[in-house]
Amino acid sequence: MNITVGVLALQGAFREHLHLLQRASEYILKNRLNARLDTTFVFHEIRTAEKLSLCDALIIPGGESTTISLVAARSNLLEPLRDFVKLQRKPTWGTCAGLILLAESANRTKQGGQELIGGLDVRVNRNHFGRQVESFVAELDLPFLHGTSSGTDAAGSAFQGIFIRAPVVERILPHVEGEQKGEEQRQDTVIAPSRQAKGVEARRALSKDVEVLGLLPDRIKKAALKASSVDGEAESADIIAVRQGNVFGTSFHPELTGDIRIHVWWLRQLMQHAEELENSSLTDG
Amino acid sequence: MAVHPQKSSNSDGVATTPDFTVKAGLAQMLKGGVIMDVVNAEQARIAEESGACAVMALERVPADIRRDGGVARMSDPSMIKEIQATVTIPVMAKARIGHFVECQILQAIGVDYIDESEVLTPADEMYHVDKSPFRVPFVCGCRNLGEALRRISEGAAMIRTKGEAGTGDVIEAVKHMRTLMWEISRAKSAYECGGDAALRAMAREIGCDLALLKQTVELGKLPVVNFAAGGIATPADAALMMQLGCDGVFVGSGIFKSGDAAKRAKAIVRATTHYQDPQVLAEVSQGLGEAMVGINCGSMAPSEKMAGRGW
Repeated sequence: MNITVGVLALQGAFREHLHLLQRASEYILKNRLNARLDTTFVFHEIRTAEKLSLCDALIIPGGESTTISLVAARSNLLEPLRDFVKLQRKPTWGTCAGLILLAESANRTKQGGQELIGGLDVRVNRNHFGRQVESFVAELDLPFLHGTSSGTDAAGSAFQGIFIRAPVVERILPHVEGEQKGEEQRQDTVIAPSRQAKGVEARRALSKDVEVLGLLPDRIKKAALKASSVDGEAESADIIAVRQGNVFGTSFHPELTGDIRIHVWWLRQLMQHAEELENSSLTDG
Repeated sequence: MAVHPQKSSNSDGVATTPDFTVKAGLAQMLKGGVIMDVVNAEQARIAEESGACAVMALERVPADIRRDGGVARMSDPSMIKEIQATVTIPVMAKARIGHFVECQILQAIGVDYIDESEVLTPADEMYHVDKSPFRVPFVCGCRNLGEALRRISEGAAMIRTKGEAGTGDVIEAVKHMRTLMWEISRAKSAYECGGDAALRAMAREIGCDLALLKQTVELGKLPVVNFAAGGIATPADAALMMQLGCDGVFVGSGIFKSGDAAKRAKAIVRATTHYQDPQVLAEVSQGLGEAMVGINCGSMAPSEKMAGRGW
C-alpha cells in the first residue's frame, strides 16, 4: 500500500514539513508501526493541480495566509484544493496559515477579505496574539500524543509549541451543510464557499463534529511572554489544535521543531484511513 | 512544568533559545515569498493584493535615496504606523547600521522585522547593532560568508544579499550569492580534508565565529533563512535568484519605479513561487510595461556603491 502525501509549496515553510515527514516515515517503518508491512510513503511538493491530483493527503504549511491564498487563486489551485478537502474529503492538515485557510470562517483578514478553502467548522482569529514581538514558545500538553501511539524518544514530554503571529480557534461552529451563513453576517468575517461531499466515506467524514485536540492555558502563554502578572484564578485557555473527521489544524508550528511526534501521529492516522477505505471498497464491491 | 526552557532545537536539529526560534521562525514563514519596499499605505495595499509576504516601510525607495543624496535615516514612525494599520501582512522597517536607538524606536512601535541596512547612511563605523537583546528580529545584508556569519553572531535571524540597491542591475546580488555558495563549499572541503584545524584557519581568514562556520558546514547552508536583495527588477531576476538557491526575494525600487506596479508585483510573486517552471515565467513576463530605468553597476564608481557600507 502506497500513501502519497503532498505539501502545498506555494510559499512558506514547506521544506521543513517535508523534512519531518521523511523522518517520521523512516521512524514508522523502522519501528514497524505500520500494521501492513507493504506500506510505503511518497512525499511531493505541490504547486499545480496535476500534482495535487496524485495525492492521498495534504499538508498546508505555515507561511503568509494571504499570499498562499492569492497565489493559489492565480495558479488555478484554489478550486482543486476545495475539491480535495471538501468534496473528496481527503485527509488534510494545516499549520498556522494552513489552519486559517482550512477554517470555514476567519476574521481580521486583510481589507477586502481573503479566500478560504474551508473544511473545519470553526471561526479563526487571524494574528490573535498580535505582532512578531508577541510571538513565543510554550510547552504544550497534547493529550492526543499520550499513550503508545507515538512512542518516540520524546514520548511523554511536553511538545514545544512555536507560535509566530499565530491564529487561534475563536469559536467552534455548529456543523451545517453548505456555507456558514450565520458567520457571513458578522462584520470583518470571511467564509469559505460550500462543496457537496462526494461518496459515502466523504459524507461520513464531513458529518463529524469538531473535536478540540489542544489547548493553550493562559498561564502558560503569559509565562512564555514573560508577562508580569500570572494569576492562578479563573483559568481560561485558547484552542490551538482541532480535528473534524480527517481535517486537522494546529495554530503552532511542529515543522519548526525537531520533534516528529505529531507527524508520526498524523501519518499513522493516514494509514488507518487508507485501510478503512480499502476495507469499505471491498465490502461495497 | 518548565514553562520557558532555555534550550530547544529547531527543524535542523540545532540547539537554539526560544527567543531565537521565534525570530528565525518568522523568516522561515516568509520563505518562497516576495518582500516589497513601499513608501505609503496605498503602495502597501497594492503590495498586499499582489501577494507580497511582507512589506518594507520606508520614506524613499533606494533609487530615490541614490538620486537625492544627503543622509538617509529611519522613516517617520507615523508613516510606518499608518502602513501597519492598513495591511495584515508583516511590516518591516530599516534602521541605519549601528544605530541602536532607531532600532529601539522601531521595536517600540511594533514592527515585525528590522533591516539594519546599508541603504541608509551608516551611523557607526565601528559596530553593527548588538541584535541579540532585542525582542524584534533583524535581517542584515552580506556580500560573503564571513559577513553573513558575523551578522548572525550579533543576533541577526535572517540574512539577505546586499546586491546593489536602487540600480535595477542584478549582477551584484548574483555575485554575492555565488560568493556565499562558493565559500560554503570551500568550508566543507576544508573540513573534510583538514578537520577542525582547517576550519579554524578559514574562520580566522574570513573573520567569523568557528562554531557558526562548523554549523554552516554541517547544514550545507547558512543557519538562517537567506533572501536575495539589491537590483531585482523583473520576474526573471527573481526566478534567477531562487534558482541560485535563495529562499525568497526583496524587491526595492523595482516595483514602484516601473510602469504598471500592480501587474509587475503580481508577476514577481508568481515567478518566485513557480521559479522552476519556464512556462509560467514566460507567461508572467509578458506585457509588464516599462521596467525601472536601470543603472549599470559596471559604470559606477566604488564610492557610489552602497554594498561597501558595513563590514
